[in-house]
Amino acid sequence: MSNKIGLSTFVLASPFTNADLNLMGKVKGMGYDVIEICIEDPAKLSSDQMLSAAKEHDLQISICGAFGPDRDISHEDSKIRDLGVQYLKTCVDFAAEVGSSFVSGPMYSATGKARLLSPPERKEQFNWAVDSLSTVASYAQSRNVGLAIEPLNRFETDLINTLEQGVELCRAVGAANVGLLIDTFHMHIEEKSLSAAIESAAPYIFHVQVSENDRGTPGKGQVRWDEFFTALAKINYGGQIVIESFLPTVKEIARAVSAWRPVAPSMDALAIDGFTFISSMAAKHLDVK
Amino acid sequence: MLKYAYNMLVYGTEPIELGIARLAKFGYDYAEIVGEPTQISAAEYSQALSKHNMPVSSIVSIYTPERDLVSSNPAIRANTVAYIKGNVDFAAALGAKIVTLTPTACMKIKPEVDIEQEWAWAVAGAREAAQYAFDHGVRLALEPWNRYESYLVNRLDQSIRMVDEVDNPGIGVMADTFHMSIEDKDIPGAIRSAGKRLAHVHLADSNRAAPGEGFLDFTPIVEAIRDVNYQGVCSFELLPAAGDIWGVLQGGKAPEFLDPYTESAIKYMKNIEKSLGMSDVK
Repeated sequence: MSNKIGLSTFVLASPFTNADLNLMGKVKGMGYDVIEICIEDPAKLSSDQMLSAAKEHDLQISICGAFGPDRDISHEDSKIRDLGVQYLKTCVDFAAEVGSSFVSGPMYSATGKARLLSPPERKEQFNWAVDSLSTVASYAQSRNVGLAIEPLNRFETDLINTLEQGVELCRAVGAANVGLLIDTFHMHIEEKSLSAAIESAAPYIFHVQVSENDRGTPGKGQVRWDEFFTALAKINYGGQIVIESFLPTVKEIARAVSAWRPVAPSMDALAIDGFTFISSMAAKHLDVK
Repeated sequence: MLKYAYNMLVYGTEPIELGIARLAKFGYDYAEIVGEPTQISAAEYSQALSKHNMPVSSIVSIYTPERDLVSSNPAIRANTVAYIKGNVDFAAALGAKIVTLTPTACMKIKPEVDIEQEWAWAVAGAREAAQYAFDHGVRLALEPWNRYESYLVNRLDQSIRMVDEVDNPGIGVMADTFHMSIEDKDIPGAIRSAGKRLAHVHLADSNRAAPGEGFLDFTPIVEAIRDVNYQGVCSFELLPAAGDIWGVLQGGKAPEFLDPYTESAIKYMKNIEKSLGMSDVK
């Protein structure tokens, strides 16, 4: 199989720390080749331990960020923007050290800010995001790491909701190592057409997360999976496909994910059944090239 | 053949008569209006409605932190029941048959006390308001909202459970296809399971724009509405792609929701009805 399938640590433990690295055995046992580690609390993770656990269990690590109120690279206060840039650089360091080719996530703003802004205010926020991302992108380039920016639905951010807006942000940053993470949950709310959105953003798509329309087990809801995978095949997407859902205990971005109720019989069942389904879709659409 | 309304909430601050004239122009059977009788009275609406011979199907209630049926503050719970009763009076005065009900303040996403207690408050408040509605020839429609707008009733099966617990003919289940596109696993299946409890329907595409602008398949949804023998009105509740909807509407920043979507929404649905051979669709 050319596309490696991964599981997000948001399904396993939150915050995910060194103490949870033993869960990698379980993840590998379910069939996954990638674990996507979300850096909720950088102080509780060490890349040495992450790397040795990953080697032991033969998993690749993908690094993603969680963007709470103090990690906001487009905030009006330059001190908070600096904190956001520092955090992103920390994530880049983790990525470089554990062999993740990019840092992914909605890094342009604190997650959960969905305000009404005037067009000039919006432009200003966009420009701050571009400035901060340019700084981080050149640092990331020096460490041979990319940035995969994730559009979020309207209730989680007011800045980048669609792939088209994501491409606009990437173009404004204008760095070769800056692209997009696309996520079926958000696309199901915001896009008019999954296939058209994917095809027009094709050169920028670095990374893919999959989740059902209700954040439950992929394949058990309304997402148009055949259309989604057909589009990935059409653009020759060869990257990772990571299943994401959220434990109800997620703290850093709890307001944003609004996860208060179970969306599957258990998180393990979601991971197991999700892997079976996504593997079958990848085999059907992506491996026949 | 289905009957259609358009929720005038999205027309924002424009004079109500302009909106009513627009609905008449594009062939709507009914208007759906916002329930703020202390801001715009039934008499004011009546004047504009009768000019265009436009009846009102339904009153959309607005739930704020002061109108929260499960607030831990008993005064707020009482205020909420009073607000709903006021909307029932407003509906009755205008000949509308439906008032919408959601038991939490909009955008509140966490319970204040344990969820069983809040559920019990919701059932008690809904029961009192439902009896009042029934006595006035009106029915409440219990609307699930998506996870970003509420936490207590997100899916149709939860609305069904609450309506069954309230156990009063003055309340039924409401289906809104935008919320269901986020929260339910199978929209037509959920509508079928509501069956005769289905009291009101909101139509919007997956992105909350007019049907046809997103990727919901409305054909099986129409079939389900037909098959449960729904006698009510299908109202388009279309809203801007923003977390802060009120701000966008106050600022008049939703021009596509005026003529363009008002025209295209009803056309799109009637074409589906036609393709299904539903009788009398012109």
